[in-house]
Amino acid sequence: MKSFSRLVYPYIIWSFLLVLLPLILIALYAIVEGGSGIITFKFTLNNFIRFFKDPIFIEVLLRSLNIAFITTIICILIGYPAAYIIAGFNDRSQKISILLITLPMLINMLVRTYAWRGILLISDFNPEIKVFIGMVYNFLPFMILQIYTSLTKMDPKLVVAAQDLGCDKKEAFLRVTFPLSIPGIISGITLVFLPAVSSFFIPKLLGGGSFVVIGNLIESYFVTAGNWNFGSAISIIMTIVILISMYFTRRFDYNKEVR
Amino acid sequence: MKKIIEFKNITKSFDNSVVLKGINLDIYENEFVTLLGPSGCGKTTLLRILGGFLQQDKGEVYFNGEEISNIPPHKRNVNTIFQKYALFPHLNVYENVAFGLKIKKIANDVIEQKVNRMIALVGLDGYQKKDVTLLSGGQQQRVAIARALVNEPEVLLLDEPLAALDLKLRKEMQSELKRIQEEVGITFIFVTHDQEEALTMSDKIVVMKDGNIQQIGNPTQIYNEPENVYVANFIGESNIIDGVMKDDYLVKFDDMEYKCVDFGFAKNEPVDIMIRPEDIKINKNKNGKLNGEIKSVLFKGVHYEMIVNTKIGTSKTVTMHVLAERDVFNEEAKEKMSASDFTMDLEDVKELTDSDIIARANAQVWNSENNSDIGIKEVVHEIKETPGKYPVTFKSSAGTSITINVTVIEPKFIQDKESNIGIQAFDFYKTVDEIKESMAISVDLKTWADAFAWNLDNDKNIEITDVWYDFDPDEIVEGDYEITFSTKGREFKVHSTKRFEVDDEVSLEFEPEDIHIMKKMR
Amino acid sequence: MKNSSNIISKIYFYLIMAFFYLPIIYVVLFSFNNTKSLTNFSGFSLEWYIKMFENRTMMESIYYTITIAIIATIVSTIIGTISAIGLSKSNRVVKEIIGQINNLSMLNPDIITAIGLMLLFSSLNIETGFFTLLLAHIIFCIPYVMLSITPKLRQLDDNLAEAALDLGCTPFQALYKVIIPQIMPGIISGALIAFTMSFDDFVISYFVTGPGINNISTYVYSSVKRINPSVNALSSIIIVAITIILIIANAVPIIAEKRRIKK
Repeated sequence: MKSFSRLVYPYIIWSFLLVLLPLILIALYAIVEGGSGIITFKFTLNNFIRFFKDPIFIEVLLRSLNIAFITTIICILIGYPAAYIIAGFNDRSQKISILLITLPMLINMLVRTYAWRGILLISDFNPEIKVFIGMVYNFLPFMILQIYTSLTKMDPKLVVAAQDLGCDKKEAFLRVTFPLSIPGIISGITLVFLPAVSSFFIPKLLGGGSFVVIGNLIESYFVTAGNWNFGSAISIIMTIVILISMYFTRRFDYNKEVR
Repeated sequence: MKKIIEFKNITKSFDNSVVLKGINLDIYENEFVTLLGPSGCGKTTLLRILGGFLQQDKGEVYFNGEEISNIPPHKRNVNTIFQKYALFPHLNVYENVAFGLKIKKIANDVIEQKVNRMIALVGLDGYQKKDVTLLSGGQQQRVAIARALVNEPEVLLLDEPLAALDLKLRKEMQSELKRIQEEVGITFIFVTHDQEEALTMSDKIVVMKDGNIQQIGNPTQIYNEPENVYVANFIGESNIIDGVMKDDYLVKFDDMEYKCVDFGFAKNEPVDIMIRPEDIKINKNKNGKLNGEIKSVLFKGVHYEMIVNTKIGTSKTVTMHVLAERDVFNEEAKEKMSASDFTMDLEDVKELTDSDIIARANAQVWNSENNSDIGIKEVVHEIKETPGKYPVTFKSSAGTSITINVTVIEPKFIQDKESNIGIQAFDFYKTVDEIKESMAISVDLKTWADAFAWNLDNDKNIEITDVWYDFDPDEIVEGDYEITFSTKGREFKVHSTKRFEVDDEVSLEFEPEDIHIMKKMR
Repeated sequence: MKNSSNIISKIYFYLIMAFFYLPIIYVVLFSFNNTKSLTNFSGFSLEWYIKMFENRTMMESIYYTITIAIIATIVSTIIGTISAIGLSKSNRVVKEIIGQINNLSMLNPDIITAIGLMLLFSSLNIETGFFTLLLAHIIFCIPYVMLSITPKLRQLDDNLAEAALDLGCTPFQALYKVIIPQIMPGIISGALIAFTMSFDDFVISYFVTGPGINNISTYVYSSVKRINPSVNALSSIIIVAITIILIIANAVPIIAEKRRIKK
């Protein structure tokens, strides 16, 4: 029995080397000065100073956050009613609906975004709206599925109990169903906001070259400009911003639970 | 008989909690041994050490004279029936039973013969191809037995195998297991927390508690001569009484001396006395040596189980002053207000808050038209930390007000030195309506009188089990009423086929040999 | 009242579905267009399908996508299964640490994982190409495999492995005769997740692949600058393939269950 625990040892080494070490390397690159050789590394904070000194970079960061934030809000607003409607279907219809929502998710993200590029060529939306359509299209299924799961996991007797205790339908929703589905919304936010902040091909494919987000910055510093140190610093900044926003989302959830 | 297993000084702990504290136990060939105890007593741990799934911290395990602590489970000649059977869900009945033999690479035709014979032995012939997950609990149990026994172990370990079955099936499997054990003639070590199961099946019972063995013996010994209170309480039903051994063959409790058959104790040694409920004879008269009143009667099928109160506990009597309505009616604001006087302990004055006062006085304001509650806005009082009578005024925001009296007194409580109990309660005032509205009058009376009892040594709370009063709460009128609160006195559980009514006065009788004296547990 | 709210929710639901399937219908439709236009359907043709099969880079990207997805699935499923079994019997500290690292790797934005691996490969002087692409895919698939197996292991009766040992199995025999068959559904769903993750991946592949090695995602990304309706043809094939797989995946358990009941 105990001997089975040895089976995980190789993976412990694997995950330190291939999961943790790369992240450490990013941090390392961010705080040293140029040069690709390990010996020439010199500690510096210039990469970070450069980012915060330049209003253009700040603007890009704020734009990314803004897009991710609005995308998340739209996904909740559209996704909640959708999840609620599906959760009210009979078992068979629920299964089919979930299957229908999952199917597009399984198709390559690039392929899906490429398709929207074609459709949006017909329209003359401004680039920002095009980006929002692409973002919502890609991330909405995650939100619906998370909220749907939290709604179906709920004991249906709770709503009956609430009605028994004098709530009408609307009150039962507001006082019982909705508060209990908040964990679903929170995990939906995690699955939408996080990748939305860092997404770079949707803005590039749908927004055109003029629409730069932080993911594009990282991409260009790594792929075209070849300044890995600055690119790493940008990714660290992005990660910290994401961590801070997730911290506040979780705290919101925690507060609810305590109450 | 040959000794087959020997545990020597086994200790085992998990995460700093000691589960086995030096177990010594011998088990012989062909015995049906039961390890009996509540969950957490270490019985399953001991079994798992024998099965090889756990390693003891200290001590040795001998199997046929050979130390086996370092032999892995698959090389031990014991097999286990697990709590939830642990049948392999991906294999059918035949494949499950054949599993062990296939591992040992025995020829297929031999396997077939042995497996089919074993399936027949447990009464599942014809079920060979069945999916084990579709079998009933009892059938799964039989598969598990066959799967273990087909390997011809010298010892079969059974870890609470009947716990998941319903009562009727459990009884059936008890005799079935006993039959199988006699037929295959090997040692069974059976773990259970069910004392009845242990008594019916075992040749030898090992009673365990907190990692120690309390007593080893055959079922009759364990039932009739328990070593201590723990065993007596765990096996069967019993009355346990604190007593003092006056001399050989003479014991004293509740100020009376009784003959008994036990000896060898020191003079005046405090002891525990056990009398089984079925050994007490109950007579309808009140002039026996031990008299009492019937407190409750329960029909148990074959007999009646009665609780007989032979001695009242420590008690305190208070007066309940019942008053008529004294609502204040503020016609202008359409408000009604009510509150009652109350008495309180000097000690409680220090921590008194406005909401305490409102609660104790049961002060209320309500709209006289629709009866909806209104909050009390202000409490005016000058209660001081000296005994005396203080006026308290409650006010609502519409200006309605009511004044009551609060009496602060030095607490007077009753101390019962012999049984070491203190009890306290206060006189109180209530209106007729408040008493009529009460849904659980005994509980409310305790709250209103602020009655509680405690152990004089350690200040721990003791439950007030009885509230005696002589009125019908639904028909109560103004006046003063006596209420007595008391702790549990001496109660005897008696089993009898004769039926008595509650409040009957009776006498109890028992023979000297029905009294069993036990040493106090350390 | 009840009816009207019912109708509104139905309409809402169908609108959402229309939104989800609009691009899919569009892609399939325009893959049969007889001109290069992406906005104007002028007539039916199979031209873009033929062009697709003639395009060597495109065919290679399909080949790499499938090869990498298959190898990455097999390797990550094996490593993931073994590690998950080991983890389930480990002490709390190891469970906690590995659980956190796996969570980190799944919640981390893809772009962070991608540049991390890119920096790792370059620091170790490993030339990017097929091998780095494959390795990266294995790395990010394993946590998902473990995630789908762990609940199955938790449901497992603790005594099952013990029962196997009790009946004479060596620990290794207990593993493949009892534990693995029991967690098979988890292993299969883990493998399916790994396959789709690998098949779909763009961000990580984009950063760790080398010259000349493209998968479908990186190919599509690099070809957006020109108008290339063959991408629509490729997309349509993927859509049809996934639909068929999904139908089979959902029908097989139902048929199997029916057969089991009949038996």
